[in-house]
Amino acid sequence: MTQMEDQEKQLEFALASVQKQGVHMKMCLDKNKLMEALKHASAMLAELRTSLLSPKSYYELFMKVTNELCYLDLYLVEEFERGRKVDDLYQIIQYAGNIVPRLYLLITVGLVYIKTNTNLKRDLLKDLVEMCRGVQHPLRGLFLRHYLLQCSKNVLPDVPDNEETEHPEGTVRDSIDFILMNFAEMNKLWVRMQHQGHSREKERREKEREELKILVGTNLVRLSHLDSITLDKYRKIVLPGILEQIVSCRDAIAQEYLMECIIQVFPDEFHLYTLNVFLKSCCELQPSVNVKTIVILMINRLTVFTFHNSNASEVKLFEVLTEQIANIIQSRDLPLEDTVSLQAAMVGLALKCYPDNLDYVDKSLQTISDTFAKRKIEKISHKNPVSRELMALMKLPIDNYNDLLLVMKLKHFPEIIEYFDYTGRKTIAIYLLQNAVQCRTMIPSVEQADIVLTMVSPLVKDQPDQPIGEEDPEDFAEEQSLLGRFVHHMKADEPDLQFKILMAEREHFSLGGNKRICYTLPPLVFQAYQLALIYSGKREQDELWEKKCRKIFQFCHQTILELTKAELAELPLRLFLQGALTISQINFKNYETVAYEFYSQAFTLYEEEISESKCQLAAIILLIGTFEKINCFDEENAEPVRTQCALAASKLLKKPDQCRAVAISSHLFWSAQNNVGQPLQDGKRVMDCLKKCVRITKQCMEVSVQVQLFVELLNYYVYFYERGNNNVSVDILNQLIGQIKKEITGLTPNEETEQITKHFENTIAYLQNRIESADTEDSVYKALEGLTL
Amino acid sequence: MCSVLVIGDMHVPFRSSGLPAQFKKLLTPGKIQHVLCTGNLCTKEMYEFLKSIANDVHIVRGDFDENLNYPDQKVVNVGQFKVGLCHGHQVIPWGDPESLALLQRQLDVDVLVFGHTHKFDAFELGNKFFLNPGSATGAFNPLNPDIIPSFVVMDIQSSTVVSYVYRLVDDEVKIEKIQYTKK
Amino acid sequence: MTFFGLGQTAELEIVLDRPDGKKKLDESSKKDQSLIYYDGETVSGRVNVILKKSSSRLEHQGIKVEFIGQIEMYYDRGNHHEFTSLVKELARPGEMLQNTSYNFEFLNVEKPYETYTGSNVRLRYFLRVTVIRRIYDIVKEMDIIVHTLSSYPDMNNSIKMEVGIEDCLHIEFEYNKCKYHLKDVIVGKIYFLLVRIKIKHMEIAIIKRETTGSGPNTFNENETIAKYEIMDGAPVRGESIPIRVFLAGYDLTPTMRDVNKRFSVRYFLNLVLMDEEDRRYFKQQEITLWRKGEKHLKGMQNRNEPSHLVSGKDGPKGSEAPRTTTQSVQPSGSIDNTDSENDHNHSPMNEGDDEQIRSSIEDSTSE
Repeated sequence: MTQMEDQEKQLEFALASVQKQGVHMKMCLDKNKLMEALKHASAMLAELRTSLLSPKSYYELFMKVTNELCYLDLYLVEEFERGRKVDDLYQIIQYAGNIVPRLYLLITVGLVYIKTNTNLKRDLLKDLVEMCRGVQHPLRGLFLRHYLLQCSKNVLPDVPDNEETEHPEGTVRDSIDFILMNFAEMNKLWVRMQHQGHSREKERREKEREELKILVGTNLVRLSHLDSITLDKYRKIVLPGILEQIVSCRDAIAQEYLMECIIQVFPDEFHLYTLNVFLKSCCELQPSVNVKTIVILMINRLTVFTFHNSNASEVKLFEVLTEQIANIIQSRDLPLEDTVSLQAAMVGLALKCYPDNLDYVDKSLQTISDTFAKRKIEKISHKNPVSRELMALMKLPIDNYNDLLLVMKLKHFPEIIEYFDYTGRKTIAIYLLQNAVQCRTMIPSVEQADIVLTMVSPLVKDQPDQPIGEEDPEDFAEEQSLLGRFVHHMKADEPDLQFKILMAEREHFSLGGNKRICYTLPPLVFQAYQLALIYSGKREQDELWEKKCRKIFQFCHQTILELTKAELAELPLRLFLQGALTISQINFKNYETVAYEFYSQAFTLYEEEISESKCQLAAIILLIGTFEKINCFDEENAEPVRTQCALAASKLLKKPDQCRAVAISSHLFWSAQNNVGQPLQDGKRVMDCLKKCVRITKQCMEVSVQVQLFVELLNYYVYFYERGNNNVSVDILNQLIGQIKKEITGLTPNEETEQITKHFENTIAYLQNRIESADTEDSVYKALEGLTL
Repeated sequence: MCSVLVIGDMHVPFRSSGLPAQFKKLLTPGKIQHVLCTGNLCTKEMYEFLKSIANDVHIVRGDFDENLNYPDQKVVNVGQFKVGLCHGHQVIPWGDPESLALLQRQLDVDVLVFGHTHKFDAFELGNKFFLNPGSATGAFNPLNPDIIPSFVVMDIQSSTVVSYVYRLVDDEVKIEKIQYTKK
Repeated sequence: MTFFGLGQTAELEIVLDRPDGKKKLDESSKKDQSLIYYDGETVSGRVNVILKKSSSRLEHQGIKVEFIGQIEMYYDRGNHHEFTSLVKELARPGEMLQNTSYNFEFLNVEKPYETYTGSNVRLRYFLRVTVIRRIYDIVKEMDIIVHTLSSYPDMNNSIKMEVGIEDCLHIEFEYNKCKYHLKDVIVGKIYFLLVRIKIKHMEIAIIKRETTGSGPNTFNENETIAKYEIMDGAPVRGESIPIRVFLAGYDLTPTMRDVNKRFSVRYFLNLVLMDEEDRRYFKQQEITLWRKGEKHLKGMQNRNEPSHLVSGKDGPKGSEAPRTTTQSVQPSGSIDNTDSENDHNHSPMNEGDDEQIRSSIEDSTSE
């Protein structure tokens, strides 16, 4: 038979016997045969003498028995109230030879006396709690006393003990004494369980104790329900009584549970005013007790309480806690991580309850810093629990202030960061920046920018203690993007100052190496472009604005060149183009030269560094599109660039790419402007481009591609025709349409050719629509009537 | 009805640190069925953000997108509408309606969504609807000094598109409505 | 009783009269309902002679009534030792023609001992009426019960003692008195000073020891009157266990010492500890039981309130730590040892005083 089956069997037997005796007892009571009934009650209670049951089964049995006893209790109360007194009942039941049934009966009968004659309360309660000492067996004793506590639940005196008046029914003082004694005895029994049986069964015993702890804790709950316990009484009698027992029992499991129990069951206001005593007791607990958890639980409770009760401020909570925690740390050999997590709780308290007092947080940080120094700690591995706790602490001010500037005001914050290893520091750096970005915190000075960038240095540059090996590229990109985003948060209102910040940033970022600068420098460049526009807007107020703009673009030029040195091409190309566009918007002295330099740098990059055909196409389109918008060049400068673009377009590798790029470059000769301020509208050059496109198209081998390009070119012709380019004639359009019509029928129908056909149809429909809706005066469209559609 | 978020040109991290908080508050999962993005996100995080709003996300490549997997242009069918999507830096002159019309004809779409100028724009041309949601982050653009962060939500029902334009003006979200009906 | 059915015979009837009416032992007593008398009380009454045949007369040599107190040893049948014998003559020799009654009175008769029925000895008082006849006498006997009352003892110290087995078990126990009346309560406590054994439970037994005979023929009979569990489980050092035993419920007599140099009845409290291997450790202490006048018991308390509570003035102070040895602590663990004042903290295992009890507290090996 397994142990479990055996348990079930034993329990079954016991329950059956209880059931039987219970029935007999009730029958006798119904016939008013009290003495007979008591005999059955005693026999029933004798089942509780068993040593064979586990705590769980014993509990079940206990419930069944006490349930049956209720009937006896009800009967007796009714009889007593009816005036029928049983002579010496209290004595009679004490003739029971076995102590366990005897005491259960004594409690039952004693409570009947109390209920019917409240004057007996004080003496009887005292008697009962004393007599229960006879049961020293832990399990049986715990349940017996639990029964006592249960029965006395509603009769405990709860009136203030006024010294001037007599209280025969007892006062709250009697209840306190009663419960404290019961508590102490139960705790002793509970602790004793630990020392019974073989040491190899330690685990099972601890599990059983765990199951029973609530019985002990109920005493404290009962105390907390006594309304007449004032703060004064709690401080002078209740708490010292409980603590004395907890400390003296020297059992870690009990101490840990009961200290937490105290925190949970009594009002926070009491805790606030008895903090010293409570925390002093923490020093005296067994070495294996997790004092940290207890203290933190307390701090957290008081944090919430103080936060919600402004009148709690009369207690110098932070100071008291600081002192006591120092004592605890000194008196107990706390692991470093516990020391840290205690301070974390303190920081939590300070942040929540004293948000304006940064010194409190700083003080906790300093305590940690001092502790580390004292313990000669240099670096803490992120795998170390200390690092985990410290990280949680560091995140508190960040999360609570939601203001990086406030975090920076904590003097000891940066020095604590230094204790983390690379991974730890990086985690903090990311956390700091995420918070700043999310809260849109602005860093308004060079000094502050320097501090922040030093704090987040693991993101800014390689670290001496950085582990060798590849980082996850996606993580890295994400981290660097974050740093890039943060660039937009280092911003001063005053432009000169802003420029200084940008220069300071670049100094930091330049140390980041090739892999980082592609994330960090572009935002810097864009910030600089924006700053230049700001100066431009202040040209009236700042006579040095032109010089400053020039300086900014110099700064940008250098910065972008740094990227090219990092063997990047497309990114600096785009940045140069954006620069050229920006410059063209600001009419400062020699701006044309500067813009030309930027544009030519871009073009050089295109020519020398970009080799992949797809990238080339994208780049040339961007070069063309940008140049179309730059209007600061005089014709002498502009003309070669336009030609250069068109030429470059025609030199692309693939024919269709050539065709499309050259077609696009046609815009450079029409809508683009030079510094004169008029669109060029050189119809002939546009035609040259388009004609070249037609030639290129004819060289295409694939018919479908050819048709597709023709349709696209047809649209270009129409576009320029509509814009008044006289060189585009109806003839040319007809020619093109005819060509397309001829070839389009021969296309094998598929998705691609369908699209081409649709494009063509759309174009024809557009033209028809134009012609139909054209006014008579609208000569351009009138002329189109000659089209063969 | 079907709600389509039209958004683009965030330029994170080069030109902006992120979406305005006011927009983020509006852009929560569950309201939107499709996302059309004009590109220039430029980070993976931003992509993931869009993905968190709706599962169906369409993105084209902007001039500052490093992600080569994004196409230059794309056609998406939403209800009765064919919607074309293109960043627009390839359409020269930038933002030019006639040039855009060329693309619209080529793609054979009812609605052409484009970006690049960082300026909200919406117009009809030949009964086709052209929409530029602007820059959701209000990213810097040298050609456009006063940039207002904006995005658009298109509610598409049968042959009508109602576009709600969300613009952040002086830290306040302003909403405008534009209606387009296909003939 | 008639012989051969001839001649007259008579039946005798003794009727006792009591000024305070009937007073009988309670029904639990094995004896018939007998009247209770105290020392020095007058025993008086009437003897009725009832003739069986109304036609004939009864001839007799005289009628007498005797008051006898005697001790009977069961092992010595027939040898009854009368310690009291009083005679009153009721009628001179003569003839009786009809039923006749005679009053008698033993004035203020001395009754030095208490009625007792034990396993080996019986002490009884009875009245015997004898109609003396030539061939056979007509005899009638009637028992009465005698209770000896005591007054509250002048000296009634508590019994307090520290006993132990070296390095194994040290306890201090205290009974609040050494003399208890028969309805009394034993209140006390056991304080554990050292516990190195695994105790299973602890009980108090009340043992009655009846001693008969003298010299080499001394014979002891022990009877356990009550077994009362006072502790369940194993205590640890510093634990204090309350004792409260109500005596009224048990069949007890007063302690009798050397009654008429023939027997003694003494009582002991035996404190027994049982360990988990079922070894027993025990310590006996004699207590003196005495009978308290009934009148004193009446009206002493409200019977609807429990008495002898811990908090009452008689209660055990169970939770108190033991005082360090004070003068009231009896110096030694041995019952009869009266000399030693040394070593009162540790009572050694003293010599036993009879076949069962070998030492104060001692491992007596499994029983």
